[in-house]
Amino acid sequence: MFDAKKIHIQTSIRVLQGIIIGIGVIFVFSLIKMQIFEYGKHNPQSERNALRIEYLDAARGLILDRKGRIMVSNIPIYSITVTPADFNWSNLSILSDLLETSEDELKNIIEASAKENRLRPARIASDVDFATFSRVQENTWRLPGVSYQVDSKRSYDHGVMGSHLFGYLREVTRDELEANREFYRLGDFSGKSGIEQVYEKSLKGVTGTSLQRVTARGRSMGAYENGEHDVIPIKGSDIVTTIDMDLQSLAETLMQNKSGGLVAMNPQNGEILALVSAPQFDLNKLSGRLDKKYWAEINSDSNRPLFNRAISTRQPPGSTFKPVMGLIGLDLGIITPETRVFCGGGFVKGRLYRCTGKHGPVNLEEAILHSCNTYFFDLMDKIGTRRLFLDWKRHANDMGLGVSNGIDIPQEASGIIPDSAYFDRAFGTKRWGIGDIINLGVGQGVISMSPLHVSLAIAEIANGGYWVQPHIVKSVKNVDGTVIETNPQKRKIDWIKKEHLDVVRNGMLRMVQEGGGRHFAKLDSFLVAGKTGTAQNPHGNDHGWFVGFAPFDNPQIVVAVIYENGGYGSPSASPIAGLLMEQYLYGRVKRQHLIDYVVNYRPVMTK
Amino acid sequence: MDRSRNIEWIIIGIWIILTLIGLVAIYSSTQGPGSEFLPSGIQDNFFKQSVFVAASLVMFFVILFMQPRIFQSASYAFYLFCIFLTISTLFIGVEVNGAKSWIRVGGINFQLSELTKLATVMAVSAFLSGQRDIIGDKIGPALVVVAIILFPAAIILFQNDLGTALVLVGLIPIMLFWSGIQYGIALLIISPVVIGYFTIIAWYFGAVVAILFVVLIFLVQRRFILTAGSAVVGLAVVSSIQFILFNILQPHQRARINVFINPESDPLGAGWNVLQSRTAIGSGGFFGKGFLEGTQTQLRFIPEQWTDFIFTVIGEEFGLVGSSLVVILFTLLLLRLLNVAGMHKHPFAQMVTVGVVGIYLIHIVINLGSALGLLPVIGIPLPFVSYGGSSYIANTLMLAVCLNMWHHHREMSIYAG
Repeated sequence: MFDAKKIHIQTSIRVLQGIIIGIGVIFVFSLIKMQIFEYGKHNPQSERNALRIEYLDAARGLILDRKGRIMVSNIPIYSITVTPADFNWSNLSILSDLLETSEDELKNIIEASAKENRLRPARIASDVDFATFSRVQENTWRLPGVSYQVDSKRSYDHGVMGSHLFGYLREVTRDELEANREFYRLGDFSGKSGIEQVYEKSLKGVTGTSLQRVTARGRSMGAYENGEHDVIPIKGSDIVTTIDMDLQSLAETLMQNKSGGLVAMNPQNGEILALVSAPQFDLNKLSGRLDKKYWAEINSDSNRPLFNRAISTRQPPGSTFKPVMGLIGLDLGIITPETRVFCGGGFVKGRLYRCTGKHGPVNLEEAILHSCNTYFFDLMDKIGTRRLFLDWKRHANDMGLGVSNGIDIPQEASGIIPDSAYFDRAFGTKRWGIGDIINLGVGQGVISMSPLHVSLAIAEIANGGYWVQPHIVKSVKNVDGTVIETNPQKRKIDWIKKEHLDVVRNGMLRMVQEGGGRHFAKLDSFLVAGKTGTAQNPHGNDHGWFVGFAPFDNPQIVVAVIYENGGYGSPSASPIAGLLMEQYLYGRVKRQHLIDYVVNYRPVMTK
Repeated sequence: MDRSRNIEWIIIGIWIILTLIGLVAIYSSTQGPGSEFLPSGIQDNFFKQSVFVAASLVMFFVILFMQPRIFQSASYAFYLFCIFLTISTLFIGVEVNGAKSWIRVGGINFQLSELTKLATVMAVSAFLSGQRDIIGDKIGPALVVVAIILFPAAIILFQNDLGTALVLVGLIPIMLFWSGIQYGIALLIISPVVIGYFTIIAWYFGAVVAILFVVLIFLVQRRFILTAGSAVVGLAVVSSIQFILFNILQPHQRARINVFINPESDPLGAGWNVLQSRTAIGSGGFFGKGFLEGTQTQLRFIPEQWTDFIFTVIGEEFGLVGSSLVVILFTLLLLRLLNVAGMHKHPFAQMVTVGVVGIYLIHIVINLGSALGLLPVIGIPLPFVSYGGSSYIANTLMLAVCLNMWHHHREMSIYAG
């Protein structure tokens, strides 16, 4: 009995020892499995756990004017962030009071970012004003997980608005993100119009990365391996434009309260000196936190402020087309400088095509001076009847009309220079006649151009017959000091002859010196040549045009202005161009009173 | 015979090595480069544990040379004293981490339940060794044993200290084993726990284990009723757990069980501890990342790392070498203690020693099982290694009592009945 008990106990102890050895073996095998066989899975996981890539946004490049003056810069903005893991949901109402947003909205943002990463601070309100920022800062002690972050946004407070030049930035869309994984992260901004869009890659710079050792709560413990693997952000390249800030600023002032567009260009090389489309809009309100109300406003405005009238509009050029007509007529051999056409108040072909007056027998120079319609109706009629319509179109195309000329901002319109095929398409075969062609001679009817086209055509007349590629960006200045010059094209238009140019130029000179441009476009110590125009508008008051260049002997600037519904070009558009040439050539405006005249101008009804 | 021969230097050596490993791991998890963000109370843990260790060392040798007689004679008084204090804790206790199982004496919190474990083992041993004949099928003594254990377990459960309550419940089969119950019945008693564990993972695992138990019980004790009984128990456990899982448990409770089976299903919530602790141990590799170099440890990926998850520190920073050393040391410690128990002639000393082994074993299994993801996470310290004064002192006290009785086993055997 006693022995049986002893045996029982000894056996029990052995059994228990067996169980203990078994458990020990299970644990050691689990350890071997985890630490040897699954090491390749666990070790990288622990490294991933302990490291976080912090992205360091590169400062966006500046946009400078032709003299290196800053037109677009960056300013710091403050964003309130929440780290979802640390956030105490009972504080939601306090936070919504401080930020003056609804609890629901806030809740949605925080929940959405919690799904992305609970440990990373997420922006819940960006670009908050200073009052809100300090309100939140005063309360952070009782708001765990709430912090702030300094970002930057574009600032346009340097004297020019440049709404259609610079363009605006918006957060990248999902599609852009997918297409450029290397380049963008969620929440990045990219240029959506203007220079910002075209030069996005240069301006953006290279986002830096920094590997941080982080605690489980996401707290940074400093750089991983002393930052050996970090990539320093590279500031975006500065864009040096051809814009003259003073000129641009004046042009913007002059185009206030109007609808229209203007282009000022250096006729020798196509450098855009100023480019304005009116109505303009305030890029500051689209920078940083989007002013949603303003955005909706400019999108729904019937005046379409987002539309770039300087390069996108398609309007009949009116009489500003006459110098081009003259050049083409001379080259096609239909007229010579001496050819005279009698103007008795109009041109008759099936019906009367009205002239602005009775000019008697006029040659080309005088026809331009007086803006005689009869002369150009006659010329266009001859082009049509002698089957030179297609040659006419090709000549116009050679000058960059009816085609796009590769300006370096988006939405450039090619305009319309019709041919028979075009009329067939537009009106139907045989549903149009010589009358439709005759009208083209005075820049009316189915012909359309933007101020850019008109300025380019006149630049070619001014520069001796060279097509120049209009461009806004002169060079890209990289951070390392290298400068990459843009390579705008320039080519001789082979059919343009100097003796033909002289006639047309003289007509334009006289037009400003003694004709319709003399009131506003004439300058006292520089010879200005130009042409007014009034484009018929079936939908309302006519559009006023003016295009001019100066100095006559060595042209430095050409300005083309369309003043929509401005009525006659001479009182409406020519003072704008005149003031701009004055500013550019003198470096200041002498006729200050004229600025007031332009700003307060009320169009005269033409009908 | 020279007395010093009866001092178990192997056990004392293992105890000291485990203590030192524990201090290193506590240092690493509370004094490392990331510790500045820990609450200041926790930053003091290494210092406090050192003080506890020093105090325990003194206590250890005082107890080692006490007269063993008083243990047996004081068993019931000690047990009742602990029960009284445990009940008082329900009223005057201090709540720490949700468990109201601490009492505050002179500014220091003590967790009484640590002491209650030893008291319970001693009371059960005193009771069983008082029985003239503990061999046979008598159910009476077994029921008393269960009652002695369940009473404090129930109170402790009230204190919201699930871990300690589980340890006590786990003692039941071990102590019953020793009450002379037949192996077949002992197996039958343990079977629901084991079958239940596998059923939670997958019902067919549970079924296979249940069949294994039936076969084992039949082989051990060729009694039809017992074998049939075990089959019924197996079937009942598998089906009732299935029923509970899918019909009674609320979705969130089921989710918690799912997390145990598949921690990836909730990596940031309930699965976090398990995943991070596995990653920590697994990323240690063969030699470990080095002292204070464990990223999971130093970057605070694992909560309560100085106590319940201390093993992850060892696994990550000292690798397979360090962590398997701990497992081997514990295995040796328990094996050696059982050898000692086997050599005892006195049933009280024998049963106390086995009971203490049982307490250690359950702690080790649950703690390492949680860290390795083999068991659901139950917060329970690793003996001698985890931070915690009450736990360290109580564990050392138990070891001291065992070694004392071995040291004096010739004198004790005089009283052996």
